[in-house]
Order: sequence, then C-alpha cells, then structure tokens
Amino acid sequence: MKRRALWSTALIAPLALYGCGSAAAPDSSPGGGDGTLVVWDWKSGDATAESYIEAARADFAEQHPDVEVEFVAQPFDQYYNLLGTAIQSGEGPDVMLFNGGGQLRDRTDALLPLEDYLAEDTERLAGWEAFSDGGHVYAAPVTLQGHPLYYNKALYEQAGLDPEAPAATWEEFLADCARIEEATGATCFAMGNKEGYGIQFFLSGLGPGVLTPEEYDAWIAGDRDWTSPGVKQVFEMWVEAETAGLNNDGVNSTAMFNDEFALFDSGEAAHVIGLMSDVGHWKEFGEFIGAENVGVMPAPVASAGAVPVMPYDGGIGYGVAEWTEDPELAADLVRSLTSTAALEAFYADAGAIAADTTIDASGAGPATAAIVAQLPTGRPALHVALSAETLELMGRLSQQLLSGSVTVDDALAQLAESDQ
Amino acid sequence: MTVLNEDVPIGTPPPPAGPTVVGPAGETARAADREARGRRRGKNQRFPRADRLAPYVLVAPAVLIIAGLRLYPLALGVNFSFTGDGDRNGQNVGLDNYAALFDDPLFRESMGNVGLLVLLLPVAVAVPGALATFVYLRVPGHRVYRSVYFFPAVLSPVIIGAIFNLLLAFDGPANTVLGTVGLGPVDWLGDPDVAMFAVVGVHIWATFGMGLVVFLAGFATLDTSLIDAARVDGASLPLVVRHVIVPGLARTIQFVVVTTMIGMLTSMFGLLYVMTGGGPEGSTYLPEYYIWFQQGQMSRPALASAASTVLFAVMLVVGMLQLAILRRSGRED
Repeated sequence: MKRRALWSTALIAPLALYGCGSAAAPDSSPGGGDGTLVVWDWKSGDATAESYIEAARADFAEQHPDVEVEFVAQPFDQYYNLLGTAIQSGEGPDVMLFNGGGQLRDRTDALLPLEDYLAEDTERLAGWEAFSDGGHVYAAPVTLQGHPLYYNKALYEQAGLDPEAPAATWEEFLADCARIEEATGATCFAMGNKEGYGIQFFLSGLGPGVLTPEEYDAWIAGDRDWTSPGVKQVFEMWVEAETAGLNNDGVNSTAMFNDEFALFDSGEAAHVIGLMSDVGHWKEFGEFIGAENVGVMPAPVASAGAVPVMPYDGGIGYGVAEWTEDPELAADLVRSLTSTAALEAFYADAGAIAADTTIDASGAGPATAAIVAQLPTGRPALHVALSAETLELMGRLSQQLLSGSVTVDDALAQLAESDQ
Repeated sequence: MTVLNEDVPIGTPPPPAGPTVVGPAGETARAADREARGRRRGKNQRFPRADRLAPYVLVAPAVLIIAGLRLYPLALGVNFSFTGDGDRNGQNVGLDNYAALFDDPLFRESMGNVGLLVLLLPVAVAVPGALATFVYLRVPGHRVYRSVYFFPAVLSPVIIGAIFNLLLAFDGPANTVLGTVGLGPVDWLGDPDVAMFAVVGVHIWATFGMGLVVFLAGFATLDTSLIDAARVDGASLPLVVRHVIVPGLARTIQFVVVTTMIGMLTSMFGLLYVMTGGGPEGSTYLPEYYIWFQQGQMSRPALASAASTVLFAVMLVVGMLQLAILRRSGRED
C-alpha cells in the first residue's frame, strides 16, 4: 500500500509541476488542402436537404470546376462537441454550419470575418445580426429562425371564438384561453421546459408584447436592464402561466423536442411558441392539424407602449474557419451555399423559411404567409442576444421559478450578474 | 519449465513472486530466483549486454503504451487545465479555472451528487444480494427470475433511458398506476428532490443483473451443510441469512461493492443524458456530465479539463481507499 502511494505521488508530482510551468498556445495547421474543401454540418445527410446540397455544389462547380467539396454530416447532438475539439486542435473543416447567436459568438476566434467577401449578398439575404459580432460578419444565413406564436384555429372555432381575430391583449388572451379550456379541455399553452428551452421561447415569443420598442432595441444592442418593470413582467407572466394552469402538467419534465410540440399536434393545447424552420414549425403542425388550422398571431400586448413584432434571426449559416488555406475559395463556397437557387431548393424541400428575401413563399399556406408578411418589420429574438452561459442559467432558474424555489426578483438578480 | 528457467541467464532478478502464487509453480519461481541471485553475485560480467537489456526491451512496449497513451495525455490534460478559455486561450491562468469551478453551484451540486451516490451504494448492493438470496433459496420460479433479472444488463443506457422516459412521464403509466391506488402524481423527472433518485433507481434496475450473477457465483461456493445445520438447529430465515450466508459471502460482497461503486461513478452519463439532461434545476448533474457540458455546450474546454482533473483526484482517492479496505479484509480472512 505504502509503495503504491509512493508511486502515485511520484507520477502525480511531475504532472502538477508541468502544469504550473508551461501553457503552450495551440498552433494552427491548415484544414483540407490539395484542392479539397471540407464542410461540416448536420444537414447534408438529410434526404430533405439533398436538392439544396446539389444546387449549391452545381453553383460552386461552375466557378471552381477543379475544386472538390466534401460534405461531412455530423450528428447534431454532438456537433458542437466535435467542433470544439476541432477548434482546440486548430484543424478541421474549412467551412462549417452554425446556429446563429451564442453558439457562433462563442467561437468567433476560430472564424474568418466575411464581410468583405459577402458584400454583394447583404441586401438579398436577411438575418445577418445572428451571425455578426463586434462589427464583423462571421457566417452567411441560410434559413431564418424565429418564434411565432402559433394557435389552433379548430380549437378556437370549437370554443365559439373567431379564429381569424385572435386576442390582441394579454387580458383578452387569458379570457380566450379560459373559454377554450372550458369548451375543449385543451390547455392554453403547450410548454416543455425539461431542457430549459421553454423560457427562451416564452421570452422571445411574448416579450415583444411587453417591452417598448426602445427597451427592445436596447436589449438587442446589449444594454439590458434585467430589473426593469418590463423584463420583470415577462418573468412574472412565466410564473403566472404555470400557477394559473395555462400550461400542460409536468412542464419541467416535458421535453420541448418533441413532447411539447406533440401536445399541440394532438390538439391538447391551443397555443405553442414554435419555430419557423426545421422542426416545431408550420409545416409539421400542418401535417397534424391541417395547414388551414395553423394560425400565427402577434404576441398579445400585456403592457401599454409595446408594439409586437415577429422575433426572428438568422437560423443556420455557414462560416469559414480561420485556418483554411484559401479564404477566398472557402468564401466562394459559402456564397454558393447561400445562392438563390440553393436556398429555393431548401425552402421547398426542407420546410424552412429561407434567408433569401427574393424567394416567393406565399404559396405554402396561411401560416407561412402570415410569417413572411411580418418579416419586414421583424426584430431579432430577445433570447438569441444572450450568451450561452446566461441562457443555461436562465433555463435552470426558469425551472426553479416553476417549482417555486426562487423568486422572480432573485432570479433576475442572478441573471443580471451573469449577463455582465 | 524448470529446465528453461535454469538455462536462460537472467540479467536482473525477476520480481519476487507474490503471496498469490502458490503450489509447485511458485516454488519453482522462487528456486529460480535464488539461483539467479547466486549466479549474479559472481558472474555478472559474463552476461552479454544484449541479455542484460533484454528485459527492458521486453517491457518497453507496455511501458511506452502506458506512458504515451495514458500518462502523457493525462499530463497534457492537467497542463491544459491551467490555461484559459475563449479570449485567454493558451495563456497561463494559474488556478483560475479551479477557483471558477468551486465557485460554480453546478459543479458543487455535481460533487454533492457523487456523495449521494456513495450513500446509495448499500441499496445498489443490497438489491442484487437479496434477489440472489431468493434465487439461491429456490423460491418458486427461481429459474425464470435468474434469467429475467439479467435481461436489463444487456440493454444500452440510451434504450433504458428512453423506456423510462416514457414510463416516468408526468402523464405516463407510472403515475397512472399511482393514480389508481389514490396517490397523487409524482413528477419523477421534473421534481429536483425526486429526479436524482429516479435516475439512480433506473441505473440500479439496469445494472443489478451483473451483481446478481456475481452473487450467484459466490453462493455456489457456500458450504450447504452449514445452512442445513443451522436449519436443523431451528434458525429462522433472517438468522440464516445474517449468521451463515452473509459471513460466507464476505469476499463476494466486497467485490460487488467495488464494481458497483465504479459503475455508478463512471457509467451514469448515458442515462443522465437521455433522462434529465442534468436537470431539473441542475439537480442531476454528475461530474462527467458537467465536463461534457462545459467542453461541448459552453465551449470552455480548459474549465472542463480542470473538472476532469478534480474528478481524477477524487477517483484516485476513492480507488485507493477501496484497495485498502479490500486488502485489510483480505488479511482478516
């Protein structure tokens, strides 16, 4: 025993000394050379994205026929883990797919500023804010992601409400919910907060009905006052929704993906704050309750002075690694991946609101038309402006708010501290 | 064997055979050892250099593999934990990561949960122990139970987690059953006071088959005449268990304790990932989940390295304590 302990100490001691002494900076080496560009994403393996990838490849091959492009589809669950490891080692893909917001901003060190290469696309594409940081653009948007407040028109009809005239204020909204629950047994909201995402959607979906345009702009610009009456009201509404019985049971153990959306799909809930693209969106809901029954309403106004806007950002976008050998070549690939032809294919097959404003999307049902109509006045979503760390804390605190183990004031104080 | 040992010149004496080596082979080894020592005293210079180097060459692959693939990465990991994340990537930040770590309520929660696992260890050992006892005592249907109990051990944690996600959902079958007997629904995976116990319970359910098999093997070595004698003397079942079976199985129980402990501390990740994702309210974080989360989701690999180093130190201490306990009780036998 003693000898073993001695050995362990002998092994550990140099490790500790080694640690104190040196801290080597990771050196970078080029990614794919030899006329090959490597792209990492979690989309290219999907059957629905096939036509999109084809179109992008064709566009790129026209300009650079001798360059080969290799798409590596990673599992989304592990995507940022794998990417983190690649970034740490300084080698990996030349071009990579990102979710807009925190996931990109946390990794701008590893990305090439692209504003000079993408200048021509600035007007055509929307959703740049989510891929920008410190005045630089780090990725080009492919889809738009937002948080429309969807409602089930069939349930509205059953409750004797006019499905074409949803509530405009929070009081009316609560009254409508009470009538729907009485008539159909459906809860007001489908809500899943197991992963802590519920509060993010709630904040972005209903926040525009509470904050004044000035407060909203300040929040997005990074000047966030967590203790202001407006922000406090949003979090009080979060608690009120639970205590007043607007939510389904077991919110903290219901996964947003996809148990929450399944509640809305099955008509057990009248409203859900969903997404615009990929999953939990108009196309998916339409398959279950009928495209004609999927309604999109602006956030009900809960505070005087608020002007509801559609909250949306760039959803996913392609960025270029700073270690790539030929930045111009990689940037050209990004341009091909966001070309009108490619994005049109993506919109048509994958059911996403594409970032290209020149695509006509009005033919895909009333919900899509309502979303697209609100895009010009839309603003970035409130939660997308937050760092990954603050979002994680907000998720945990939101669960505590529902179980009553923290007060709104206390939670906001912790969030204000985290968001410094 | 004997001929070989005496004919081949040995540069350095072989390590002394441990007490575990018994019988003729051990005797031979010791004899060869004495022989070698005797020869070395006088005739060392006679050995060619190649022969003296041979043992080192022979152990080199093993040593290099351990040093190159285990110790060196370990050293890199520890070293990395003294560097910064994000803007301070690559800079030496001293003990900042460790300070941040112990300042993080999430990490403290995860270490607290390790303590909780240690406290729940007796339950995790008692479950297979009690069930193995019943199988051994041939309760009706014991043959069926013997195989049925082992079934979950072959399922992957992800599948088990998915199954129990459905069973333990708020509107799932578990709560429906509770409802029929008039008990209120329990938010198994959504209540921070319950979730950790739910996950550990599922983990025990999923893994107790292994312990059960080890226990059954232990029972096979029990002297049945002792049990018969106790029964003839009129001992009741609890008394037989306490005074005959448990003492007879002391070594087996120790082995199951050690392996169950290791299993609980190292292989809960899959279940946590699928069932709770560390929630609700961060109540089901374990250090390995925390490490994964900081590295992958928060992109703070250096902080994750620091957490790994702390976990490594904890596991080293726990492992050495277990070795010490095992060795002491081995001596008592």
